[in-house]
Amino acid sequence: MVTMDEVTPGKMTEGYLAKRVQVLKASAFLTSKLFFADPQWLIPNIIAPFIFTLVAFFLFQGQTSGPDFLLYLVLGSGLMGMWGTTIYASANSIGFDRWNGTMESTLAAPMPLSWIALGRVLFNTLQGVLTAVFILVIGLAWFRTGFAIVNPPAFLLASVATFLSLSFFGLLMTTVLLLSRKGGFITNSMEIPVYIATGTMFPVILLPIVYLPFSFLLAPTWGIDAIRLAALPGYVGLPTTYWEDIAIMVVETVAYMALAFFLFRRVEAYAKRIGTLEEY
Amino acid sequence: MQTLEVKPADGGPAKWAVSVTGLTREYVTRNFFGGASKKTWALSGVDFQVAPGELFGLIGPNGAGKTTTIKILTTLLTPTGGEAKVFGLDVKKDLYEIRRRIGIVFGGERGLYNRVSAVDNLRYFSDLYGVDPSVARKRIPELLEVVGLADRAGEKVEKYSRGMKQRLHIAKALVHDPELIFLDEPTIGLDPAGARDIRNMVTELKRQGKTILLTTHYMFEAEELCQRIAVISKGKIVALDTPSELKNLVRDVSVIELRTYGATNEYVEALKTLPEVGRVTADLDSEVQDIRIQTPLGADLLSKVVAALPPGAKMIDRTIKEPTLEDAYLRLVEE
Repeated sequence: MVTMDEVTPGKMTEGYLAKRVQVLKASAFLTSKLFFADPQWLIPNIIAPFIFTLVAFFLFQGQTSGPDFLLYLVLGSGLMGMWGTTIYASANSIGFDRWNGTMESTLAAPMPLSWIALGRVLFNTLQGVLTAVFILVIGLAWFRTGFAIVNPPAFLLASVATFLSLSFFGLLMTTVLLLSRKGGFITNSMEIPVYIATGTMFPVILLPIVYLPFSFLLAPTWGIDAIRLAALPGYVGLPTTYWEDIAIMVVETVAYMALAFFLFRRVEAYAKRIGTLEEY
Repeated sequence: MQTLEVKPADGGPAKWAVSVTGLTREYVTRNFFGGASKKTWALSGVDFQVAPGELFGLIGPNGAGKTTTIKILTTLLTPTGGEAKVFGLDVKKDLYEIRRRIGIVFGGERGLYNRVSAVDNLRYFSDLYGVDPSVARKRIPELLEVVGLADRAGEKVEKYSRGMKQRLHIAKALVHDPELIFLDEPTIGLDPAGARDIRNMVTELKRQGKTILLTTHYMFEAEELCQRIAVISKGKIVALDTPSELKNLVRDVSVIELRTYGATNEYVEALKTLPEVGRVTADLDSEVQDIRIQTPLGADLLSKVVAALPPGAKMIDRTIKEPTLEDAYLRLVEE
């Protein structure tokens, strides 16, 4: 039997970056454990994407002319699933703490909440990637098309950049949930407009001109264009090159990141002033 | 009010573990349009200090301001006015330094991830607090053994009893080896054995030299554990002293404890009208009723108390006792 006197004395991790990496890993790992502990994960990650893909197939049935268009469609479905999972799970990651009664314990830690939330969002986005891969597999099997990518390294780079971009956009959305338990309405209502605005299912250029500025402010719009440029031969999307897409996405993602960290600090301080942090 | 003197070895200014001066906190309820519709003062000028290594109690009725005080000291809530310092650090400015040095035990079910194991919970919080992973790997199983959860460390927390969850809360608060521990009603809702386990752990932490700030509704618990107790009522400290000195506030009265069969609410009301009777409390919900009467008359009142019993009612037991901390507390919060 160990007594309190025999317990190993505490010792802290040294270094600014090491501490933050430790928090990111811990937060992502716990989120994954909680995710797989609940069998309901099958619904948003397997069942809903299957329905998405099926609907997309029936929508475009008869208009699909060749494997490139099918790949366009399947990639779009995958990105829709990825975005849906990211925003749903990220919004709920803070809402879950409120509901679970762990908000105070999490906030009491000596680490900015933004880093804890970022770890969660990173796992949620990764979960979105898995959903996207699942949709791709279903889509490719359903349409019996191949997966010949024009430029695999460029495809990989664009996919990773879009992954990070979605993560920071998800982090930005999470700040809304800090302020109020009703923040879920806002994040939920973002899901469909973002599907449309980012061009997951049809080219952005087809949208009304008033919608385009919103579209261009969303980094995933450029990410999706870059992914399609890298994957599809002869793809005509936005009037930008692959590298221009990547550059705009990086600039916008950095802006999301800066805004998210700034808002986290402001919102956390504000929520502490009004005393609503642990309310559900 | 009794205060402790803290004399640092270097002869510099006193270094309190906790120092609260003129602390205020206002809650504003807003209407639909965002305007302030109602303002409530949860704290209206709270002052107290806690010495390093002291076990300090904060007691008061619901809504008195205990939890608000704890939240401010643990940097979870911003004060409206006044000053609150932990180890000389300002709760408004030095959040992370304070958080590294304190541990918090919340009462009840909140604060744990129920769908994962005790080990997962402790590993997560040790990482959030920046505990060196190589140290955490040794410290977590040791702490689980100390709190008696080693055998069930891998089970999901949702399968734990209330008492086990509370012991896990203590392990969680200790995972980063804090100097000061806040215990917010740690035994609430526990059975007697579970509550005793927690009290034993608190005593052990005190012996180890940890500073502890405890809030509780149980007076015997505060009396048993705390070196000094602050009584808070309506957002103000109304008394601060050692348990024995607080009890001296009611030394002018004795307490008659009755156990009756068939006593009614009318009987209790009749007791209140007797001369020289102070506070009367009664538990009339069960078949046998327990009644407590504060009076300066002591045994001289007994005959009148017995005579007032309604027909058919019986006196099972009667005892005259010295006033307890609860009697002092009730007088303080009702003044």
